[in-house]
Amino acid sequence: MKAKRPLEGLKVADFSWFGAGPICANHLATYGATVVRIESETHIDALRTVAPFAKGKTGYNVSGYFNNFNAAKLSITLNLNTEQGRELAMKIVAWADVFLTNITPRVIERWGLTYNKLVEVNPKIIAAYQPMQGYEGPHRDFLGFGAVLTPITGYNYLSGFPNRPPFGLGTNYPDYVINPGHTLIAILAALHYRNKTGKGQRIECAQLPSSVAPLGPAIFDYTANGRVAMRSGNGLPYAVPHNAFKCRPLSNSGLPVDQRWIAIACFSEEEWRALAAAMGSPEWAADGRFSTLEARKASEAELEAKISEWTADKDAYELMRDLQSRGAAAGVVQSAREILDVDEHMKERGYYVYLDHPETGRAAYDGPPFKLSKTPGELCAPAPLLGEHTEYVCKKLLGLGDEKIAELLVAGALQ
Amino acid sequence: MLDLAGEIGQYCTKLLADLGADVIKVEPPDGDPVRNLPPFFHDEPGPEHSLYWWNLNTNKRSVTLSLGSEGGRDVFRKLAATADVIVESFEPGYLDELGLGYEKLCQIRPDIILTSVTGFGQTGPHSRYKAPDIVGVAMAGTMWLAGDPQDPPNLPPWKQGYISSSIVTAAGTLIALCYRDLHGEGQHVDVSMQEALSLTQETAMQTWDMLQVLRVRNGSRGIIPIDIPGIGVYETSDGHVYGYVGTPGGATWADLLAWMADEGKAEDLTEEPYADVCRNLTLRFLSGIATDPEAAKKVSFFPHVNEVLRRFVKSKSKWEMYEQAQSRRLLFGIVSTPEDIAKNPQLRYKKWLTPVEHPELGQTLQYPGGPYELSETPWAIRRRPPLAGEHTDEVLREIGISDGERRALSAKGVV
Repeated sequence: MKAKRPLEGLKVADFSWFGAGPICANHLATYGATVVRIESETHIDALRTVAPFAKGKTGYNVSGYFNNFNAAKLSITLNLNTEQGRELAMKIVAWADVFLTNITPRVIERWGLTYNKLVEVNPKIIAAYQPMQGYEGPHRDFLGFGAVLTPITGYNYLSGFPNRPPFGLGTNYPDYVINPGHTLIAILAALHYRNKTGKGQRIECAQLPSSVAPLGPAIFDYTANGRVAMRSGNGLPYAVPHNAFKCRPLSNSGLPVDQRWIAIACFSEEEWRALAAAMGSPEWAADGRFSTLEARKASEAELEAKISEWTADKDAYELMRDLQSRGAAAGVVQSAREILDVDEHMKERGYYVYLDHPETGRAAYDGPPFKLSKTPGELCAPAPLLGEHTEYVCKKLLGLGDEKIAELLVAGALQ
Repeated sequence: MLDLAGEIGQYCTKLLADLGADVIKVEPPDGDPVRNLPPFFHDEPGPEHSLYWWNLNTNKRSVTLSLGSEGGRDVFRKLAATADVIVESFEPGYLDELGLGYEKLCQIRPDIILTSVTGFGQTGPHSRYKAPDIVGVAMAGTMWLAGDPQDPPNLPPWKQGYISSSIVTAAGTLIALCYRDLHGEGQHVDVSMQEALSLTQETAMQTWDMLQVLRVRNGSRGIIPIDIPGIGVYETSDGHVYGYVGTPGGATWADLLAWMADEGKAEDLTEEPYADVCRNLTLRFLSGIATDPEAAKKVSFFPHVNEVLRRFVKSKSKWEMYEQAQSRRLLFGIVSTPEDIAKNPQLRYKKWLTPVEHPELGQTLQYPGGPYELSETPWAIRRRPPLAGEHTDEVLREIGISDGERRALSAKGVV
């Protein structure tokens, strides 16, 4: 018998787009919520137009970027710039337990989707807003976007090597776990509170404070000690070595695509001795310059050069297995290729899920982010086609008749 | 909630404590080792001086207890009988060895939620691997995408692997709690750092799955293949800003050029062929570069356009550039240092930094604030982080252990 999913019965009105909002609602869908994703043909979620696209396919339904964040949602296309579109939006709000949006405050206000309006039709709603900066404040209307949020919130300044410009982590980093995750936590905490008291509430998970919070120690170091911490490469003051080391490449091209690296970290003397033993206990390792953590820290560059020399011709996976079996922490710096195709552990745990999609064909999706022993999550369907469920949502969830639906289509409220 | 978690899970229990959970931290008799991690208050090392630890342990109470002794385990069982949730991060199987595994805990408290968070989860061939933060971000693909091709893959700052793990752990715990609200059943929640981080690969996983194309680290460019004027890191007179001109919703390169001209810093960009290049630097144009030979010709003028823009940005401070650009709806973001974050006008407006009194220091410190605001159940720091064992007496009394018993346990080094 199929296990029950924990959020079955929960109804979510997902008025979000891009990354931070849709990913949050995606997790709710994975654990059983019915999520209606409100989309628009006039303002398409830009992720539907961003690569990667399924090989040889074009159109709004084949972006792996979009699809991965929207599995198992119901897509309705609604024009919120029409009076009737906004009326229908309020019907969805009245149906829902949870409302979610990361659309900019100006537009949400124009559409009448602020909390005080929502509670008029649904007093118990849990309404989560993810503005970039906040619904109030001097920077309220600043433009935002993951690529710019990352530097604004400190990740660029604090990432990488000090001799390089602050170019960040190569992605719109806080969009994917931090902001959707914080919002999810707030929604679930509010749901727990509602289960006990019957009361809904308004949540504001502005992306500025949400992204900054995980860098707390650096900010605290400033407010308490006046120190402006700088990016400092891959090291830690209390672990040596603590870096990535080049291993045998897949070819001699020298290109990053063919490189193999292994992360090695020694926090304790036991771990250092295990690493030294794996290296064949070379004479230099017994030298006083490497005998204590403080000594190794003082000679870190020299130590790293020696370790790099040793790892250069080694297979990264064999090395990882050897070091781990000896009790030293090590992990291959895996690419998506390795994670999907090589990593036996990920395969055994079945993290990635392959779903058949009518336009992309079979494609990989990120699976449930945590395992629940009695009520596991499951991706029950691939991402929806644009507007795929407009009729279903209107009829089955909102109870509209054929005539009303036709009227809304003619009026341009439904698309 | 009982908090047995090491570094990987302490942001989780902080998140829940800051939302009102009564989190009792169970520390070993000589204190949580994380108390010894820097940065320290006034750079004075010591277990009651760690800013890093304080930031992760607001609102918690502390009990020191030896789980290695049968007497300590007895006390723990009494605590568990009163708990809703236990969060732990030991090597899989360790709690079973102590007789405190999930099955045993269920005998004490049938609806207990046990949440386990480790580098690779409770099952699978890597489940017992040593997994400090760097191993998690390596194996999950986060590091692979970060950094300049000339450097090793970059480590994200301040233990982002632990942060993501904790966020996912809090969400998993809360979903289990919401399920228990309705159905009365607890369960075991299993979180893997590697899985928790998977989404930080942005589109790398899907790009490999759909196209067998591998995204690699490429410094400042991120997802964009060539240097495009207005996109990326720019030096100011006192730091950096990050530009993303031409994205949806914002002003265009034509607006940027008009601003530069207003200030007399457009140089020859107002003349052909550059004016034409600037006018046409739109997303539509950029997406056509690959197929349009006319567009490709324009690309040859990019370096000069970029140079002039660099000189313009260099003439301003980072705050000037950020606020002036945003007032023109041009998408630039400040590359914030920790000091910039502490002084950010929007965060100040939100009163994000949170004063917390430390009577032992005779000081009030400005703590990093929370990620969100909840209208009914606000985020708050109600209690400064605990001294090691500060609440042992209080908590033992609450679970019915008499002062006499407590003194006996203390004499034996159990508490």
